[in-house]
Amino acid sequence: MDPKVNGQLQNEWGGLIALYLFLGGVGGGAYTIAAINSFLGKSMELSTTIGLWIGFPALFIGCLFLLADLGNPGKFFLAGLKPGTSWIARGTGIISLFMVFSFIHLVLHQFTEVSKTSVGMNTIAVLGIIFAVFTIAYTGLLLSASKGIPFWRSGIVPVVFVISGLVTGHFLTIIGMVIFNEGAKTVSQFSTMALEASVVVVVEVLAILFFLNAAYKQPDSRESVERIMQKTIFIVGYFILGLGVPLVLMLILRYALNESGLNTVLAVAFIGALLGLIGGFLLRLAILVCGALPTLNMGGFQFRRIAKPKDLKPGIGLMPPK
Amino acid sequence: MPQYGMVIDLKRCYGCYACVMACKVKNHTPPEVFWARLLKGERGKFPNTMRQALPVLCMHCEEPSCLEVCPTGATQKLDNGIVIVDKDKCMGCKACIMACPYGARYSVDKWESYFPDGLPLSEYEEFAKKYWEEHSGCGVATKCDFCLDLLEEGKLPACVEACAANARTFGDLDDPDSEVSTLIRKYRGEVLNPELGNKPKVYYLAPR
Repeated sequence: MDPKVNGQLQNEWGGLIALYLFLGGVGGGAYTIAAINSFLGKSMELSTTIGLWIGFPALFIGCLFLLADLGNPGKFFLAGLKPGTSWIARGTGIISLFMVFSFIHLVLHQFTEVSKTSVGMNTIAVLGIIFAVFTIAYTGLLLSASKGIPFWRSGIVPVVFVISGLVTGHFLTIIGMVIFNEGAKTVSQFSTMALEASVVVVVEVLAILFFLNAAYKQPDSRESVERIMQKTIFIVGYFILGLGVPLVLMLILRYALNESGLNTVLAVAFIGALLGLIGGFLLRLAILVCGALPTLNMGGFQFRRIAKPKDLKPGIGLMPPK
Repeated sequence: MPQYGMVIDLKRCYGCYACVMACKVKNHTPPEVFWARLLKGERGKFPNTMRQALPVLCMHCEEPSCLEVCPTGATQKLDNGIVIVDKDKCMGCKACIMACPYGARYSVDKWESYFPDGLPLSEYEEFAKKYWEEHSGCGVATKCDFCLDLLEEGKLPACVEACAANARTFGDLDDPDSEVSTLIRKYRGEVLNPELGNKPKVYYLAPR
């Protein structure tokens, strides 16, 4: 059976690309938070150190997933030879520069005596932040450049991905802080991170609702919105468990656990951050798997790519989905 | 240099799939790969309904979105307007597949038998697999090239030759006296989803 005829949904980009987009967002987000926190000095030392350690490796591992998805990974170097010609080529340059700056920042921060507030360090941090944000935005631009999938072809997608990258970056940093916590003195850093994460999660909720509403108004992407709203991984996995529950837990961490013991703080922080992290991945996976091909129109006919056989109800035959 | 294009008369097309099979036989495409496809559409409300076949292939767009997203230069537009994939430059990122609104591109990871239950490849399949790997290949983007090799021999694309209803006409869009230009002008040829801005070079004469 021809998948293009019988599958309304794209089926070329799946879990590996979702992991790539996710880790690109996490890496860029964690670095951005770390670099911003580095301006706050000693009070956010642990979160800064952990964020810097996360940025480069997360992105590097993400790129490995991209390579694993390529049909011909041996030719990947060709993408670097034509900079500026496509979003993947541009992204290759952006990611490379981000990796360089985040690596330099990490080395200077961790292994040298360079002052954390020196001009050189601040310059590296600012450049790193710029390329980190570009890196996260690129993961969205890669999708929004896909003319064949109307659902992705929206300027809001990169915005959603940037916000989600910052959220997941926060959450992975929090998990790192739980693992490498320095006892009671870390509690105040958890409180600050929880507040930051809560604000960005609220912004993400607004952004995703705006994105879905805008997509639903477009006839060609309406089918994708209808499908994503029926996906358990999106509604339960992402929206409820990946955004709602972490938001509540972060607010509890910020406002209700000031007098609690360290173990309670660590447990609440870990559970909230882990759920948020999984939610970030599920968001990208859901957006990918719900990417529907456009309907072709000619002479008053709509030629839809009919649903996969498994989506068809018995007895209806090859009726297109509603 | 001619600018090749095609006109498909939907009044003539009765959806026999001869073009689909001719393309498969000519290009030895693996299972689930259809450079020439056929979609079916319906309109109206019961009992006043109509069913229509729509042959689809690479539109060889004047402004191909697959070309814009290709990071390695594997997708190229020839001087004659035909869009091709250089398999030796393709890294298999599938961005072009996502970029094509007409679903004209395919990529397969490996050649699998047409037959179920893990049967070994038949003699024909072995030949087809070898041909495919030489001309297109697994792990890279593949698509219709208007049977470029046949054009160089002065022949027509396989799908045009195979069309029993003479629904397909192939020729030079830049030549105002060519049959394709005349048909487009005379019967107001339309392209699929012009709002996308790709400027396809496959025109359709709408059903009546």
